[in-house]
Amino acid sequence: MIVILGTLLVVIVIVLIEAPSLLKKGLKKELWVFGILLLFGTGLNIAQGLQVVIPNPMDWINVIYKPISDFIFGILR
Amino acid sequence: MLESGKIDGKQFTVLVFMFTTGSSFILAPSMLASEAKQDAWLAAILGVVVGVLLAWLYHSLGNLYSDMTLVEYSEKILGKWIGKVISFLFFTFSFLLAALVLRNMGDFITTQFMPETPIKSIHILFLLIVLMGTRLGLETLARSAELFFPWFIVLFLLLVIFISPQIELEKMQPILEEGINPVLRSSFLIIGFPFLELVLFLMIFPYVNRPKEAGKALLMGTWMGGVILIVLTALTILVIGADQTTRNLYPSYYLAQKINIGDFLQRIEAIVAIVWFISIFYKLTICFFVSTLSLAQILNLKEYRMLVFPLGMILIVLSLVSSPNIVYLASVVLYVWPSYALTFGLFIPLLLLGIAAVRRYV
Repeated sequence: MIVILGTLLVVIVIVLIEAPSLLKKGLKKELWVFGILLLFGTGLNIAQGLQVVIPNPMDWINVIYKPISDFIFGILR
Repeated sequence: MLESGKIDGKQFTVLVFMFTTGSSFILAPSMLASEAKQDAWLAAILGVVVGVLLAWLYHSLGNLYSDMTLVEYSEKILGKWIGKVISFLFFTFSFLLAALVLRNMGDFITTQFMPETPIKSIHILFLLIVLMGTRLGLETLARSAELFFPWFIVLFLLLVIFISPQIELEKMQPILEEGINPVLRSSFLIIGFPFLELVLFLMIFPYVNRPKEAGKALLMGTWMGGVILIVLTALTILVIGADQTTRNLYPSYYLAQKINIGDFLQRIEAIVAIVWFISIFYKLTICFFVSTLSLAQILNLKEYRMLVFPLGMILIVLSLVSSPNIVYLASVVLYVWPSYALTFGLFIPLLLLGIAAVRRYV
């Protein structure tokens, strides 16, 4: 619970810092991107705080690039 | 242009220097010694030579479009959609690198200084300064780097001078005990781990006020950073030996712990930590700055500063997830990273350079 509240508090502070100047300049697209990224970040942080297992992008990279590393280190063996 | 700041050639050199030493300052010796043993210094020299060649490649690509960033000209060279896909992959590369660098820093503090503090709080504290630096922009960042540069050099020289009485030349022998292949394997690791990452500077290239100087500065910074890495690796091998270097995760820190001048001047390993904090701060900020800037340019935004905090929040989680523990870091990340970096540091620049040359002359 405290994780969710704490994260939301941080989010409110971030919105208060960034949103007013974006609204004043009328940057609609920027505001959308900002909102979507912030929503994504909030979700991730709450999930991490509640110890939900989050997929590791390094594992995906490992699947793709391990054969290449195996090959390069193999010829240097 | 998104970023209005301009930096000069000297500041660019310092940034490249800080980036090259970056996290490698403390991780490179053990990484090199893991394969090459007492020949780690040879592997470092080889790595730096290749690194300078890579810097020369980036220099020629950067000079071709000296007023555009990598994201902008990849769209121009490859067409809108393919260019955007490549740029997006480039963004994930720099963002993931930022997460791993932050994690290196957190691992170091939790294992050496504050074992009981949760790593997340250290990450948040360190990232706050990085976010601040990114929001202030490139010009401020470059100027502060210029201020820190003499400190870096002085502290590094102090380390070299104080440890030099303990050098034992026989620790370097036998040279090339198992042939050249272990040396090549090690140098592949170091080529991937700071030098291929220099491709990020193609995003900063157009902000150097005289484009001619930018290329030279890039080469110069790579050289200087490389020399620091070579000296450091050689010192670690000469003083604590290949065996200890491999077994320690942070051998250059251990090296500084061994300093003992007349039983009076000792336990000054904090100087290594300070040097490392300075350089890793710049490495992390450059990675983060490049990620933010490239994302803003991919989406054609008019500003990039509002992306800083949301991306920072994502980065915190990514840094905790991307290398769950030190074993994973050593066995997976360090093993796979060079080939991953090869895609972005060698393959994509060569592809862009090739297509641009064909378009220009045909």
